[in-house]
Amino acid sequence: MAKFIAKRVALGLITLFLLSVLVFFMANVLPGNVGRRVLGPFASPQAVAALNHQLGTDQPLVTQYVDQMKGYLKGDMGTTVATRQPVSDVLWPALWRSAKLAILAFIIVVPLSILGGVYAALHEGSLRDRVITVGGLSAAAVPDFVWAVVLLIVFSLGLGLLPSTAAFPDGSGVLTQVKYLLLPAFCLVFVLFGYIARMARAGTIESLDADYTRTAVIKGLPQRAVLRRHVLRNSLLPTIAVIATQVGYLMGGLVVIELIFNYQGIGQMIFRAATQKDFPSLEAAVLVVGVVFLVSTLIADILYSVLNPRVRLGGAES
Amino acid sequence: MSQRETTRRVDAIRAGSSELENHLIDEYDAGHISRRDFVRRGTVIGMSVPIIGFLASACGTGKKTSTGGASTGTAVQAGGKEVQVRPGGTLKLGMSPGPTTEIDPIKVADEGGLGVMSQSGEFLSWSDNKLQLQPRLAESWKPNADGSVWTFKIRQGVKFHDGTTMTANDVASSMNALSDPKNGSNALSTFAGVLSKDSAKAVDDSTVTFELDGPNGNFPYLVSSDNYNALIVPASFSGKWEKTFPGTGPWKMERYTPNSGISYVKNADYWDKSRVPKLDRQEVKFYPKEQAQILAMQSGEVDVLVHFSPTGGRALLNDPNITVIELRSSVHREVHMRNDKAPFNDKRVRQAMALAVDRKALVNGLFGGKADIGNDSPFAPVFPTTDKSVPQREQDLAKAKALMQEAGVNGASVELNTWDGFELSDLAQLLQTYGQKIGLRLTPNVTDAGTYYGDAVFGKSPWLDSTMGITDYGHRGVPNLFLTAQLTSKGVWNAAHFRNPTYDGLVKEYVQALDIGAQRAAAKKIQVLLLDETPNIYPYFYFFLTSTKKNVGNVEVSAMGHYDITKAGFTTGS
Amino acid sequence: MSAGATPPSALPVEDVAVALGGPPRDDARLARKERLRVLLHSKSFIAGAIIVGFWIVCAIFGRSLVLQDPFASNPIDSLQAPSADNWFGTDRLGRDVFSRVIVGSRDILVIAFSATVLGTVLGTALGLVTGYFRGFVDDALSRIIEAILALPVVLVAIMALVALGPSNVTIIIVVGLVFAPIIARTVRAAVLSERELEYVSAARLRNERTPYILFAEILPNVMGPVIVEFTVRLGYAVFIVATLSFLGVGVQPPSPDWGLQVFEHYGLISGGYWWPVLFPAAAIASLVIGVNLIADGLTQAFER
Repeated sequence: MAKFIAKRVALGLITLFLLSVLVFFMANVLPGNVGRRVLGPFASPQAVAALNHQLGTDQPLVTQYVDQMKGYLKGDMGTTVATRQPVSDVLWPALWRSAKLAILAFIIVVPLSILGGVYAALHEGSLRDRVITVGGLSAAAVPDFVWAVVLLIVFSLGLGLLPSTAAFPDGSGVLTQVKYLLLPAFCLVFVLFGYIARMARAGTIESLDADYTRTAVIKGLPQRAVLRRHVLRNSLLPTIAVIATQVGYLMGGLVVIELIFNYQGIGQMIFRAATQKDFPSLEAAVLVVGVVFLVSTLIADILYSVLNPRVRLGGAES
Repeated sequence: MSQRETTRRVDAIRAGSSELENHLIDEYDAGHISRRDFVRRGTVIGMSVPIIGFLASACGTGKKTSTGGASTGTAVQAGGKEVQVRPGGTLKLGMSPGPTTEIDPIKVADEGGLGVMSQSGEFLSWSDNKLQLQPRLAESWKPNADGSVWTFKIRQGVKFHDGTTMTANDVASSMNALSDPKNGSNALSTFAGVLSKDSAKAVDDSTVTFELDGPNGNFPYLVSSDNYNALIVPASFSGKWEKTFPGTGPWKMERYTPNSGISYVKNADYWDKSRVPKLDRQEVKFYPKEQAQILAMQSGEVDVLVHFSPTGGRALLNDPNITVIELRSSVHREVHMRNDKAPFNDKRVRQAMALAVDRKALVNGLFGGKADIGNDSPFAPVFPTTDKSVPQREQDLAKAKALMQEAGVNGASVELNTWDGFELSDLAQLLQTYGQKIGLRLTPNVTDAGTYYGDAVFGKSPWLDSTMGITDYGHRGVPNLFLTAQLTSKGVWNAAHFRNPTYDGLVKEYVQALDIGAQRAAAKKIQVLLLDETPNIYPYFYFFLTSTKKNVGNVEVSAMGHYDITKAGFTTGS
Repeated sequence: MSAGATPPSALPVEDVAVALGGPPRDDARLARKERLRVLLHSKSFIAGAIIVGFWIVCAIFGRSLVLQDPFASNPIDSLQAPSADNWFGTDRLGRDVFSRVIVGSRDILVIAFSATVLGTVLGTALGLVTGYFRGFVDDALSRIIEAILALPVVLVAIMALVALGPSNVTIIIVVGLVFAPIIARTVRAAVLSERELEYVSAARLRNERTPYILFAEILPNVMGPVIVEFTVRLGYAVFIVATLSFLGVGVQPPSPDWGLQVFEHYGLISGGYWWPVLFPAAAIASLVIGVNLIADGLTQAFER
């Protein structure tokens, strides 16, 4: 087990290094005059030149990369180009905000979709099954920005129940934060429900058909007990994998939802950094998103192998 | 006061007034300018407000002026009346997109930055929404005979938020920081040819003189809130301005989070007791996308939107729970046509394109009527010097087609460049349709702002190099910058590549004219010339719109993006 | 289903691919016939084919199907509610929303389809090579693929489009390149089990050149997973292109692209102008659902 984890971590580190190189060069091929981009067209050429000098983009790329990585290791992520503040002052709060939204969405969607999936599996082929699977698929097919707009209109402008932005006031309590985050979280629920439910359904059907379940039923165990002991546990496996892979989407992929709800999460930070050519912010934020994804898949792999020993034998690679 | 007494006092004032002031009084007396123009102009050249008021009623009783009061005013809606508000409370404001760069008075170039900066900081004078200058940190100002040296009396007993006293020295150092090329200040383009390095001098604790590069009748505007970089900061100040927002203003910065928001508390020790805020606090939230701030306003999350666009905020215009404050402004779109490149090197093609545009439809359809129709010159109806007797260009497809035929241009293809902000791409698409009607194939090429502006110098900027393009210009209190930068032979923003010595001469005449009569005479010649040459199309000047909830009163804004909520508050009974 | 980090269907498709192993070559024609029969009896495939077919017809003949010019603006008639003249109403520039929705199918279909084809071709080649050679090439490429997959597709696309400037060709290349490693992973999994089969070692013994073995021997046998993966990716491509347009870095005006239409008008819904948003949004949803239904049908057919 320890060897398995060690191997996964080592591979993860290599991937991380490649990612950092990739992100660095991607951010640095952004063409154009950074100072001009930041200060706008009507700023004086002197102001533009001063800022460009301050940013020191005259170093060779490799030197810049090495310097930057050294900084990262010391916890120094540089300064944002536009607002001239430490990148870490922007990045960590943004990441934490995205995490809050993701956690709330998971708290709602995971039980809901696992129950839905298991329920559909138990009634495989019935109308109820079709409603859950087709409904889930259709809900997920509607773009997230459309859900966002619809929910806004109905619950915020129409019924006046919830705020139209997710930017809760500084220092508000947990309940207030939840209130502000409910609408965007529900957009994610619509997007994720069908997908997780489908996994749970497939897992349940498979384990319902499995020998050990049949044996259990033949042994005369009540259906409820069989479900709890075997089926639910096995249907959880693919579900965990799915959730882990979605963490990457939730922590960084929510550009559209964060923009519509004016939520200063990591997705919006990256979008802003990209459009403003704020490459110190861009690199740091994209790298962090990558790390979050790698760590969450690593945890999922380990969990998976703990729950299902067969994986370890088959090797962790594919 | 008897007629004789009045005359005696007028004579006494005139005897003590400068040549410039007497000239203005003559003009007003002769009926060349309206009472409103007289008051506005009077404040600019530094006449004291009581004297202006007295002269305004004492003189000018002769002929009626040709310009009506309403057409020169900026406030479209009667927002001027002060309402009763209860003291205290926190006002929540929304701003889109909010400050986009570090807030440093010397460098700020965006509306969001100047909006938040000028809550805690102050200027020598405030350019109000009637384009009159109200004294703030300067008590009064006076030019010498030809307007080449201006002397400002600095208000005494004013304290910065940290407790130190503001003196003439702080004023001079703030201004010299702007005119010093080494600092790369954003005001350099405004001060070019007007104010050089180190030419502001503190004569004593309460007097600052400005020795200009040449005569300039509008100089006080250039150091008023109209030039938002001209904020007065402590001479001893160093470091990051945005850490503390040091200033003398009615609001003290409480907490600033870039990209998110800012809050202020009232400055109870503010020097002008009549402008100590009635509210306790104000909280400003920033919205990167305009749609988000519109929704926030409609759902009641904010009480005020400092600025929203007529196109993006259409939903607010007919919302019964929201009051919209409208200001006429000089915000405009310049559609340039390269005067030195086919097909626009033929004047007739440029005229045809301008004639194909249905401006009334644009103003009503795109802006819901919240815009003034443009007449293909930067002279917006809002400027007092604009001559409104110049005939308005209307859509005339028959004439346009005839001109195209005369020019022998048929089916020419032109790329129409612009960027993806405001209603720019809408306008591009509309122009495409209009072009189609007269046989000009325009292909919109909408990029991001950075790509469109490029390096903002000739040869390295689609904005300045393309055959045709649409550029966005913000509000200015006077048209001078537009006239010179956009259209003179050496203009740095002359995307049309318009070279016309007659025009250059007229602009010089306009800028140097010290009185409004001469300015308006030059303006007329410029307007007529531009209408004929049509280097650019100026389809509209749209209004600066602010929204408030019904229970919020006394919010004042300027079309630059400044807002003043010192008198604002929640109305009683709500 | 989202423009997410990882293909939601990665797991099942991989499982399918591994389980399939490909039918023996002699029975290939029979199997093909059987698959076709299954497909034609699959309700989801038929439904999906009808929806997608409808949009393809619109994309090809769009301009001749509609009575009004989708680009003709007339600001005076802006934001008119749906009526007999304008079935879906008019947008903020007074253009006919119905004709814009019909004609707007072209850009998104062309871009999504081209991007998916590009991604599939590159990804399949990559998957064949990595799966067949294993060893160092496989390890190195796998790490790089993993690094790219650690980032949400939208983010990579945004960065690239901001850097290169938005144009339809750029979108195709960017989305295609991002898809390639995802598809490669699926293909590689299928090849891993395929390379151990007899017909491959037989070809090797015949001294066939490697490219021949890869493309003439193995490729036909992994076409199943490739086709399924292609359809699944196509659904995502539609989604991503719409999202990019919505963010303003995708298809540019004056295109009647659906995502762009939603983006340009969603701020107006609160003012009661729902029609310029609802119809293009429904169009996007219908296309994504249609493609997914086809993918479902194909998966069923290849699972047998």
